[in-house]
Amino acid sequence: MSAALAARELSVDLGGRRVLEGVSFEVAEGELAALCGPNGGGKTTLLRAALGLVEVAGGTLEVLGARPGTRAAAVGYLPQTKPASSAFPARVVDAIVAARRGAWPLVVSARERELARSVLARVSGERLLDSLLRGLSGGELQRVYLARALASDPKLLLLDEPTAGVDEQGRVEFLELLQGIAEGCDLAAVLVTHSEDAVRRLASRVVYLDRTVRAWGPPAEVLDRQWAASSAFSGHDHAPPAGARYYESD
Amino acid sequence: MDGLVELVASPLGQAFVRRALGAGMALGAAGALVGVFVVQRGLGLVADGLAHATFGGLALGLLVGATPDRAVWVALPFTLLVALGIQQLRRRTSLGGDAATGVFFAVSFAAGVLFLGLRAPRAAPVNVEALLFGSLLAVSPEALAVTALVSALVVGMLLAVGPRLAYATFDPELARISGVPVAALESLLLALTALVVVVGVRTVGVVLVSAFVVIPAATALLVGRTLGGILALSLATGLVGTAAGLFASYHLNVAPGATIILTLGALFSLALALRRR
Repeated sequence: MSAALAARELSVDLGGRRVLEGVSFEVAEGELAALCGPNGGGKTTLLRAALGLVEVAGGTLEVLGARPGTRAAAVGYLPQTKPASSAFPARVVDAIVAARRGAWPLVVSARERELARSVLARVSGERLLDSLLRGLSGGELQRVYLARALASDPKLLLLDEPTAGVDEQGRVEFLELLQGIAEGCDLAAVLVTHSEDAVRRLASRVVYLDRTVRAWGPPAEVLDRQWAASSAFSGHDHAPPAGARYYESD
Repeated sequence: MDGLVELVASPLGQAFVRRALGAGMALGAAGALVGVFVVQRGLGLVADGLAHATFGGLALGLLVGATPDRAVWVALPFTLLVALGIQQLRRRTSLGGDAATGVFFAVSFAAGVLFLGLRAPRAAPVNVEALLFGSLLAVSPEALAVTALVSALVVGMLLAVGPRLAYATFDPELARISGVPVAALESLLLALTALVVVVGVRTVGVVLVSAFVVIPAATALLVGRTLGGILALSLATGLVGTAAGLFASYHLNVAPGATIILTLGALFSLALALRRR
């Protein structure tokens, strides 16, 4: 099985500071991997590197077998923050069509509207089709952005803390939705999350990132290590225990 | 009905009113369309800053011996450079758009005052009031041609890049991931704004020109729900406000620039009252 995302000895610098160093791991096609670790551990930077938004300083990073940023249409992205201006007249249907066109639609054709409706149906959000983004709740916004990420039929989905800022009920509903989508197709996905529940329910593998890959493997193996679970989901205890299965990059 | 026709037909019998209407409509259309993107990006003050920079550019043109009409050709590159300077300052420092604009605004205007003072004692006198408040009814055929040409260029460029510019306005990061050249489009938007402002200063003056960019767009944003609808509403507001204001100023025998801006202000108030709550 080929890799949807493959990092080999990857290094990334931000503002003159090395944020990622010697990162190596692979996410196979059809696999849902969780990217965990403490705040500031480089999780979002890794996603941004995969999207071609930040330069790779060393090593290699391949996205669907190509350089980052070169297969944009095949990569769906759900950002952590939604910076859309409140002054911008963004309807849900426009945002989804824009993701397919790579440009904001002045006019939406009947065919595009139907495509937007069908992708919204995948996230149980059909009723939101003509709503303005600025009027949506946090949970509704996450659904719309997930639909937007799915709009171009991606092969790889990058999700950056999709349940951050969503209430408990919204979080549970969103995880169920994601589970359904992941089971219903052979889409590969990388889920950045601080939610242990999300990792245990959705991920077939966990990559524990703290500037480098500190551990990887099935959730049961990685998260049952007290050091990993505590620092990824609540604290910052980075010291791996003696004998833990972990990966040292150098 | 006949009275209304007469209200419009009688001023149009005068060549200078036809030129003023042509220049005002061209400026109203270009300002209204570029304004939608400017206002959505929170850059409304940039238009005002660029107007003051244009004063510096026109004064520089007068200093090197150009006539007021020809000084536009000095003011154009001068204001474009200021626009790019504002963008670079925003991009390379932690200063926001308002601070970056404020710096260039003051320095350019001060330079303009200095340039006017440095002119030879025997140089033709400059009507500073016309620079500050405009002289729409004194638009020459040459100024009308320049205004129409620049406005057509701005509208054409916006039609070409508008959808991608809008995507970059909605979310710069998502647009960049989709391959939209976000930084280049922002430079282009500032350059187009600078073009509108420079030709606008010659007709409605430094103080009032930013209203042509900001008020129609703000009016449309209050009531529009889609980008296409907002662009159409902004365009209609700019054109109707300009024509109505000009005809009103003719019959009331008051300053046309100020009357147009007040008419645009009245349309904004109407939209404010009509907006969905």
